[in-house]
Amino acid sequence: MRRLIFIIMAIAVCWFAEECARAAELQVPANAVAGQPLTITVSGGGTLYLIGPGQVIKREVKSGSVEIKGEELRGAGRWIATAGGQSQVFWVKPGKPENLSFLARPSRVPVARPNVMSGVAFVFDKYNNLVIDPTPVNFNLSVGGTGSARTVTSHEGVAWTNSSSAAKAGAANFVASAGGAEVKRVVQQVAADPCRLTMRVAGRTADRIIVETEPVRDCSGNPVPDGTIVTFIQTDKTGKSTVDSRIKKGIAHAELPASDNATITVAAGVVLGNELHVGGR
Amino acid sequence: MRRRILALMGGVALVACVTVPLLQHMLADTKPQVQLSVKNAQPREVEDVTQTAVLRDYTRAWEAISTSLANNSLQPLNENFTGFALDKLTQRVKDQKQQGLSTRIIDHGHKVDAIFYSPDGAAIELKDTASIETQVLDGGKVIHSDQAQIHYYAVMTGAEDRWKVRVLESAQ
Repeated sequence: MRRLIFIIMAIAVCWFAEECARAAELQVPANAVAGQPLTITVSGGGTLYLIGPGQVIKREVKSGSVEIKGEELRGAGRWIATAGGQSQVFWVKPGKPENLSFLARPSRVPVARPNVMSGVAFVFDKYNNLVIDPTPVNFNLSVGGTGSARTVTSHEGVAWTNSSSAAKAGAANFVASAGGAEVKRVVQQVAADPCRLTMRVAGRTADRIIVETEPVRDCSGNPVPDGTIVTFIQTDKTGKSTVDSRIKKGIAHAELPASDNATITVAAGVVLGNELHVGGR
Repeated sequence: MRRRILALMGGVALVACVTVPLLQHMLADTKPQVQLSVKNAQPREVEDVTQTAVLRDYTRAWEAISTSLANNSLQPLNENFTGFALDKLTQRVKDQKQQGLSTRIIDHGHKVDAIFYSPDGAAIELKDTASIETQVLDGGKVIHSDQAQIHYYAVMTGAEDRWKVRVLESAQ
């Protein structure tokens, strides 16, 4: 009886030892980086699965080291390696900054306004993993050869800046760059509201009086865009006549009914122009 | 008497064996608990309406991840993700399907901080501490199981009728 128990126990120990020997042991790297090769040591062989945030890699392996190519290891984050009943979690860090996602707002902006434009840049590596480590991001805003530049260090993957619009109207290049990446956005800077509005009588006919403005400009001297509406109002004893006129080639003009005693005013947006008294013959 | 007690204990153990996995499975299919704090958001303050919408849509996004990875279906992802996050999760689901794998996520909740809200209100970045149990299944066999607190960075942007997750990345 004792002999039988001894034989059974010996078989059990051998079986256990064999199972232990066959069980795969996994060794995963401590500092893996997306886009860089990776070596995993598997003892025991079998099917190796690497399950990442955005992909699954499957390999039939024999005992030893398995090399995963850089271009295969694309996703940063938490990975699971499993083979032969063993599994391990390991982390893959993002690679160097190589891509930017740049949001520049707004796309059209009046000149000479403080902090009116914002630029937000998210920093990514080659495989579009968000780079969490601080990265210097350069923001450059230029229009007509003049401009301003600022370097902002990203915090948890994002860098942002705001900027005032230039005094000069035109297409401004808003550029964000980091690492080898550069992204350009165009922000159209347009003239602001008219600054001074002056009109004069440009002509008369028997039944019409023609008035027109001087070239309409904003406070920085930029011509106000054609199409901007200028309102002329004539008041006399018969009542009010109103003409909404669009600026053409920088000037707005209107034909009003002739009157022997009238007051004409002009306005554009919130700006009031000069007042004319006509008639009194 | 002893026999009866033993039989009773055996019965209780048997019921527990059946109900615990069932409850786990049911919990996996319910809405994850998400707490969102916006007090650290910079440079713009998060509006109440935005906070409510982001909370709702980030919760939906995690529901979608659980459903998609468990069933290897893409539809829930398309509704809640966009950009890089959608590309990556779509690839993961396709790879899983091809290899005969699936992933069961038992979501024990998220503590989320809004850390960045863009000046124009178009994008918001969240930092999430998630308590997640992950089981990877090869066919019906569990080949990996773990429970961990995982940090995620998520960038959400406004879409037609909801906020969608554009970036979702776990970090150590």
